[in-house]
Amino acid sequence: MITSVESNIHSSSEGILQKTGRLTTRLLLALSLVASITFVFFRLIHLNATSVGFCYLVAILVIATVGGLTEATVSSVVATLCFNFFFFPPIGTFTIADPKNWVALFAFLATALTASQLSDRLKQQRKDALDRRREMERLYALSRAILLTDTAQPTAKQIAHQIANAFECPAIALYDRNTREVYLAGPEAFSDIDAIDTKLRESAIQSSVLREGDEILITPIRLGGEPIGSLALTHASLSDAALQSLLNLVAVGLEKARVQDEVNRAQVARQSEELKSTLLDAIAHEFKTPLTSIKAVTTDLLSNPEESLSQQQRGLVTIADEGVDRLDRLVTEAIQLARIEGGKFQLNRGIHFPSSLLSIALRQTKSVTDGRNVKLQEADDLPPVFVDAELIVLMIAHLIDNAVKYSRPRSPILISADASEKGVIIHVADQGPGISEDEQIRIFEKFYRGSSGQHLKGTGMGLAIAREIIRAHGGEIWVKSSPEKGSEFSFSLPVAPEGGAE
Amino acid sequence: MSGGRILVVDDDPQIRRTMKATLTARHYEVSDSRNGEEALDRLRSEPYDLVLLDMNMPGTGGIETCQLIRSRSDVAIIMLTVNNTERDKVEALDAGADDYVTKPFSMPELLARIRATLRRLPQGPDEAALQQLTLEGVEIDLPSRQVTVRGRTSRLTAKEFDLLSYFLIRSNKTIAHRELLQAVWGPDYGDELEYLRVFVNRLRKKIEPDPSKPRFLVTDAWAGYRFHLPH
Repeated sequence: MITSVESNIHSSSEGILQKTGRLTTRLLLALSLVASITFVFFRLIHLNATSVGFCYLVAILVIATVGGLTEATVSSVVATLCFNFFFFPPIGTFTIADPKNWVALFAFLATALTASQLSDRLKQQRKDALDRRREMERLYALSRAILLTDTAQPTAKQIAHQIANAFECPAIALYDRNTREVYLAGPEAFSDIDAIDTKLRESAIQSSVLREGDEILITPIRLGGEPIGSLALTHASLSDAALQSLLNLVAVGLEKARVQDEVNRAQVARQSEELKSTLLDAIAHEFKTPLTSIKAVTTDLLSNPEESLSQQQRGLVTIADEGVDRLDRLVTEAIQLARIEGGKFQLNRGIHFPSSLLSIALRQTKSVTDGRNVKLQEADDLPPVFVDAELIVLMIAHLIDNAVKYSRPRSPILISADASEKGVIIHVADQGPGISEDEQIRIFEKFYRGSSGQHLKGTGMGLAIAREIIRAHGGEIWVKSSPEKGSEFSFSLPVAPEGGAE
Repeated sequence: MSGGRILVVDDDPQIRRTMKATLTARHYEVSDSRNGEEALDRLRSEPYDLVLLDMNMPGTGGIETCQLIRSRSDVAIIMLTVNNTERDKVEALDAGADDYVTKPFSMPELLARIRATLRRLPQGPDEAALQQLTLEGVEIDLPSRQVTVRGRTSRLTAKEFDLLSYFLIRSNKTIAHRELLQAVWGPDYGDELEYLRVFVNRLRKKIEPDPSKPRFLVTDAWAGYRFHLPH
């Protein structure tokens, strides 16, 4: 890499001198070839003028093939002069006696010049073909390198290095619009990196080709017409086609990196989601294991025959038992809350009878509804629903809890279930102070608290989450309320598909 | 007089102690194991009527232990777990458990479940007639609780046996979910559709030549199940 750069530097500073020297040498060699032919045929071997002319032509073809156009042209003119001077009578002068010989001489000159030109063009084409092949090889090397980029470094940085390597560029700057970073590569530094930086961003935004000085080309990298970055190159001795291919390769490389990045991020998100759910399971287990022992003991004591505990002992054990129930509900709700608030929660659906969901919820809220008149009204022949029982029970329990909290002690609470075209509708109604109309909309917002409920303690399970749960089931939740008459919360649950009902 | 022999399997020592104390007071004979391996060893050497099995245990977990017990014994199993999701219930029942109780539970509830699990259908006069039954290549031997389908013999667990007997006595009649649950599990049951689904599937695997296309134990959508007895 560094050696090739050194040769570049040499060619730029001492190149002209060297080139002139090499041309002079080649000219001298070419002319000496012409001189030798002249000497051989003039002094040693005597042939007719036509044969000598052919020999000159062969020599000029050799010169054109080995050397360049300049040597061949000079040799052609010199050979014509020699041909005239030494082989056309009167010999030893530049005059030509026979007019036919003028024709021959001009034909010779024309042939020599044309041959030189053709030969040179051929050579040029070969050189072009070689250059193209080299470009192709470099592009191929670059495409391989882009495919094999690793994740240890930013892909754009690796691509910049690979371009500098493959195309022997002294300095490269690559701007990746996705990461908004500029990556530098190559053995030399840009003289004015700030200007380059600005122009790179400009080029990537405007999708236009810019120049900085004579040697730096700044060109946008597009994918499907959209600029996704830009590239600054010094001494860009690339053909347009090669540059375009290079830009396409870089575009593909950057896009690949972006997609890979997105996939990685999604994977990390999924893993953290899994970790969270494992953690929640562990927490649930840790909290509920000691609660299990306590609950077993309190309920066992309370289920013993009346006389085994004194009135006072029974009262105390009941307090402990209710405390366990409350803790258990808090832990369950906190875990459910964390599960739902993560945003992506999966419904654990099953087929359940509405009556069983209601009776479980009533059982769970027994400690808060104690002493309240709770009425349950179920329509006959309710079809089973297809729901996440745990979440729905939690929701019904929450609505019952709210009804108790936001209504006068001893006022009745009505829980009912009926069927409609929306599915099975469950209602929880209280005879509390009711909810004003503008509050009716806001109560489903996150963190909203009813004006009358400022002093009440909550379990953290807001109506906003209730709405999330119902939405996830494809149902609806709404409230009907009139001041001083009470509120009725209702929600719909999807009926289980017929085929799944066993 | 002992109400039955119960093995409590839980990694938490406090739960084992509590269970031992409360269940012994209710006249059960209780032993305990700290993990699945120990439980399997104990079951090999001593007879038990029922296993109370914790679902979340380190090492051989509850589900795996349940499958291992079921593969060699038809002892009654009640799974205990902190999770209350449909998936967990079905997983436990599929592994061969007879019932499922969520932690924390009240003692009266657990005792009711134990009684229901150990409860046997009273032998009616009709059952005496159903000693042996051969249906289109399926042999059902009720006294030994063995079923042979295409030369492959499997044993029914007590609950599977009760369920099948209940069906056989009322063959060709649709039996409602609630009736089945209350008859076989007890009067406290009735809403546990997942129990029926899993147990019916378990029975189908044992008695149907092709469990995915049941010929005998058929579903009557919405209404219940029916045992189709060819005449």
